Formats: sequence, structure tokens, C-alpha cells
Amino acid sequence: MSVAVAKRTGEGPAGTSQHRVWSRLIDMLGRRGWVLLALFLLLLVAASIVPDVFAPHDHEAQNLRARLLGPGESSPEGLHLLGTDSLGRDLFSRMVVGTRLTLFIAVAGTLIGAVVGVLFGLLGGYFGGRTDRLLMRLGEAQTAMPMFLVAILLLSLLGPSVLILLVVLPCLVWPIFARVVRAEALRLREETFIEASIATGCSTATILGRHLLPNVAPRILVLCVVEIGHVMLSEAGLSFLGVGVQPPDTTWGLLISEGRPLLAVAWWLTILPGVLLGITVLVLNLLGRYWEARSGAAG
Amino acid sequence: MTTTTTTASSPRSRRGRLLRWLRDLQPGADRLASRGSLRGLLLRRLRDGVIVLLFVVTVIFFLAHVVGNPALVFAPVDATDEHIAEIHRQFGLDRPVTERYWEYLVGLARLDFGESTWQNRPAIDAVTEALPSTIYLTVVGLGAAAVLGVIPGIVAGARARKPFDKASNLASVTALSVPNFWLGLLLILMFGVQLGWLPTSGRFETASIVMPAATLGIVHGGRIFQLVRSATFEEMSKPYVTVARSKGLTEWNILRRHVVRNTGVTTATIVGWEYVRMWGGAVFAIEYVFAWPGIGLLTIDAAHRQDFFVLQAAVIIAGAFVIFSNLLIDMGYQFIDRRITAT
Repeated sequence: MSVAVAKRTGEGPAGTSQHRVWSRLIDMLGRRGWVLLALFLLLLVAASIVPDVFAPHDHEAQNLRARLLGPGESSPEGLHLLGTDSLGRDLFSRMVVGTRLTLFIAVAGTLIGAVVGVLFGLLGGYFGGRTDRLLMRLGEAQTAMPMFLVAILLLSLLGPSVLILLVVLPCLVWPIFARVVRAEALRLREETFIEASIATGCSTATILGRHLLPNVAPRILVLCVVEIGHVMLSEAGLSFLGVGVQPPDTTWGLLISEGRPLLAVAWWLTILPGVLLGITVLVLNLLGRYWEARSGAAG
Repeated sequence: MTTTTTTASSPRSRRGRLLRWLRDLQPGADRLASRGSLRGLLLRRLRDGVIVLLFVVTVIFFLAHVVGNPALVFAPVDATDEHIAEIHRQFGLDRPVTERYWEYLVGLARLDFGESTWQNRPAIDAVTEALPSTIYLTVVGLGAAAVLGVIPGIVAGARARKPFDKASNLASVTALSVPNFWLGLLLILMFGVQLGWLPTSGRFETASIVMPAATLGIVHGGRIFQLVRSATFEEMSKPYVTVARSKGLTEWNILRRHVVRNTGVTTATIVGWEYVRMWGGAVFAIEYVFAWPGIGLLTIDAAHRQDFFVLQAAVIIAGAFVIFSNLLIDMGYQFIDRRITAT
């Protein structure tokens, strides 16, 4: 439903006041709080580029004599900070190794969705009329459907793979980008600088790309940061249900899913990857709003 | 003391802006303003709903029949090309796509969604059996979300910047950041495994609903909280609240007699939309976690068994239900507050 989308984008009065909830938290973080948040993300990026530096053990090395060790317990190979799974593999190392694919899918999925959404939003907002109605109706149509079920159907039809995920996940986010960009484009097209560009004979492509796009860029970037978190949650959900990333590839969502049958005997396998995922999404959310508040990108 | 009505129609008032914003977001709102008969609106919305469904159905058909190959669903893994050609003949898949598409649409119009390959019965039977469970769960979940979201939202908004406000803000933001299925697992671990208070899976006793509904309530309550809090906060900064204070009304009476009544429609709107949002995802993953025998569990089981017809029927029927309930909710607002249609 269109409303739900708009609410997440922070459009309209309710959106700006929802943003007030966040600004309360940002106040609590203090002026330098963003450094901590950024540091956390940098750490994740580093872990996804060079996982070997961070992972204390080989993430695939099985050791059946060190099965289901609790957090902090040691095996002959050394300390297992977050414990081991049913094959004796080190959970911390598996989480580190899973960072790469988790981040990659979330970032790539968001960016693809952003490109589609921005393009549609610019076209709809700038031209208005029939183009606008058609594109917005498409977005509305989509948000009125139980998209999660549609995603499960598509993944099951086309076979779960990272590639298909990168088709399905952007479908979930593009309407949000389209909505925000459209609203901005609608506002900006009345401005005199656009009139001036038309008068000096700029082509439509130039006006859209050179004049409109740079003006909406800050909002798009902020939105990207927040939406990466949401896409991450969607991917985790699909992987948890067994229609997303498939073993031997690993993401945090898949780790939660693998730990689920052992919930009663080895809680750490399920709970700890979820904690990491939750913290990451929270950090992305906070950083996005922080940036928004600071740059005044919200308008 | 009578309720102070704010000038919702005044373009300058914040609440007026919020209401208009809420209204403008509804699909078809632009036409609603000029031609506002209730029946006409209902018909237009129904038509839009049918177009949306048709669109989704078409996408599914072409993905299944043009991009994918439906014969592979029935064929054994080691099937030869002749085998597959034979399956094509048997199911009439060698005929032109347009012909099959038309037949498919006619079938859907007769509620013929095909046979479940795994349960050996019409796919629609499996779905209609699961649908009431999901509706039950979402309704109870929405109740939990409303209780968890609205009451703390009002309190936090009325007493902004107090410790309760800070704590509940943090809680709501956390609820929205953690994966919903993980939250369900956490509850299972705490109340099912450790304490042994509540049943963890299935739908066998009355108490079975508690944990899935609570999970759903926490996730969606977080969002309701944020919106109700800001609506209350904005209302509290209006001049009439200052007037009420200067007349010596207690904060409790200001809240109960004025503020809550004025934010009522907004709150109802927020809660109603949250119901539609629920069908967007969270409920299905939560059903899977708690083995709740609803649409989500059915869909995921069908996905694992490659039961295309059940999957398709589930998506279409759930889609139709969402579109229909969306319509009902919007209709409801027309009755709660006539200002929403009147322009």
C-alpha cells in the first residue's frame, strides 16, 4: 500500500514527526555519536573484504569433538568466542565470513532498486500526467500485494539463488525511492532554474540528469543507507525460510535458520547472528537519520 | 466540558495538513475529492483492485510459462527430452501461449487454481483451509500491536523527554530493527524452552496464539508507537491545550478529554494501515517460526515441495484478501470521520 511506503520514506508531516522519534535517539548519542556508528560499519566492510584477518578459525573446519561448545569455551584449536555449531565449526568465524554476502546482497539489492525507483520517480515527477499516473499506479499495485508471498513464489519458481534475490529484492524497495524522488521532482520542476534550462534549450535528459538529479541526490543517499537495513532484513527473512541464499554460501539470516533446530540445546547459534543483524540494521537506521538531521536533507 | 474540535479543514493547522496528507495518499484520492459518492468510490476501488490482481496473475503466468518450464515440475530429475515432450503433450503445454493464458484466466475466474501436486486435492481447498488461521492471527496480533503501540505512544507523546519517553523510543526502534522471525525465536527460547509457560508451535490449544500474536504485536506495535507518539506530541503543543492548562485542568483530563479524542481518527487510521502492512511480510515468517497453520506456513511448505499451484493460489487469494480489507478499512474511515471525504 502506498501509505506504508510513504511512511517509511518520511514523507509528509507524520513522517517528519516520526523522524522526531529518531532525533530523540540521536540526541542521546551526542554530537560525536556518528563516529561510533561509522566505525562499526567500517569494521563490517573490512570484515567482508578480508575475512581471514578477523576470523580466528577456518569457518568450514569441522571438529566433531568440539560440537556445540557454548560461547567462551575452548577446544584444542583455541578459544571459540561465540561457541561452535553441531559440526564443531566456529560460530564467530562463520559470522565474519557471512558478512560479505550479507552486505553485498543488501547493498546491491538497494542500489538496483534505487536506480529503478529514481528513474521512474524523475520521469513521473517531471512529466506528470499519464506517465506519472501509470508509474505511480504500478508502485501502488505492488505495495497493495502481499509482496513477501510473491517473493517466495518467484524464488521457488526460478530457483533460489543470489542472482534471483538481486531481482526480487529491488522489486520490494523501488516504490519507496520512486515516491520520494517523484515528490522532489514535482516540487523542483516549478523552480526557475528548470525554466531557465528549458529556455536555454537543454535536452530533457540534461535537465533530468544534470539539474534534477543532483538536487535529489542527498535524499537518495540518506534513503539508501536506511533501506540497506530493510533489504538486509528481507534477505534474512527469505534465507531463513529456505528460499534465499543456499548453503554452502552463508549470510546471517541463513545462520539463524541453521541454528533454529538446535534452539533448545544451543541458543547461541540462533540468537547471536540475530543480534548482529539487529545491531547492524539499527546502526544503518541511526546513521541515515543522523545524516538526514545534520544535512537538512529532509527539507 | 465539551470536546474542543480543531479546525481540521484549515490549511494552516498541522492536524489539517496531516489529515489531508493521510487522505491524499489513499489510492484514487484525487478523484475522490471531486466525485465523492460512496458507491461510486467503492466501485472504482474494486475496479482498481481487479486490475492489480490481473496484473499480478499475468506476471506469475508469464514467469511460470515463458521464463520457466512448467513441465519440469512434473518431470523426474533424470527425465529425457522425450519424457518432457510427452508431459508437454499431456498437459497441453505445446499449444500457443496466448491460448493457454486465456484458458488460465477463465480457470481463475471459476476459482479453479489447479490441483495441488503434493496434497492431492484442489489447491484452493488447501488455501481456504489455511486462510482463517492467518486472519485470526493477524487480528489478534493487531490487537496486541494496538495495545503495545497506542497506550505507550500516548503516554510518551504527552510526557515527552521524560525517562519513559526515552525508554519506549529505544524499545520501538529496537523492535523495528531486529528480524521479526528472530524475535519469535527469542520468545520461544524464553517462554517456551526456559520457562516452559507457553506452547511453542502449532495451533492445538487456546494458548497457542499467545506467542505468535505477541511477536506480531511487538513488531507492528513499534511502528504504531512511533506514529501515535508524534501525533500526540503535536496535539499537545496546540494552543487549546495551553488554554485548557490555564483553566486549571489536570494533565490527565486534558489528555483524556481533549487530546486523545482529537487524535482518535489519526490513531484509528494508523492502526488500520498497520493491518494491511502485516500482510506485507511479517506474519508469514512468524507463522513459519511457530508452525502456525496459516497461509505463510502453507506457502513455505509449498515452496519447498515445488507445489506451484498451491503457491499461486495462496498468492492470489491472499492478494485479493488484502485488497478487499484495504477497501473495507478505507470505507470505515468515511464513516468515522466525514471530513475525510468532504471537501
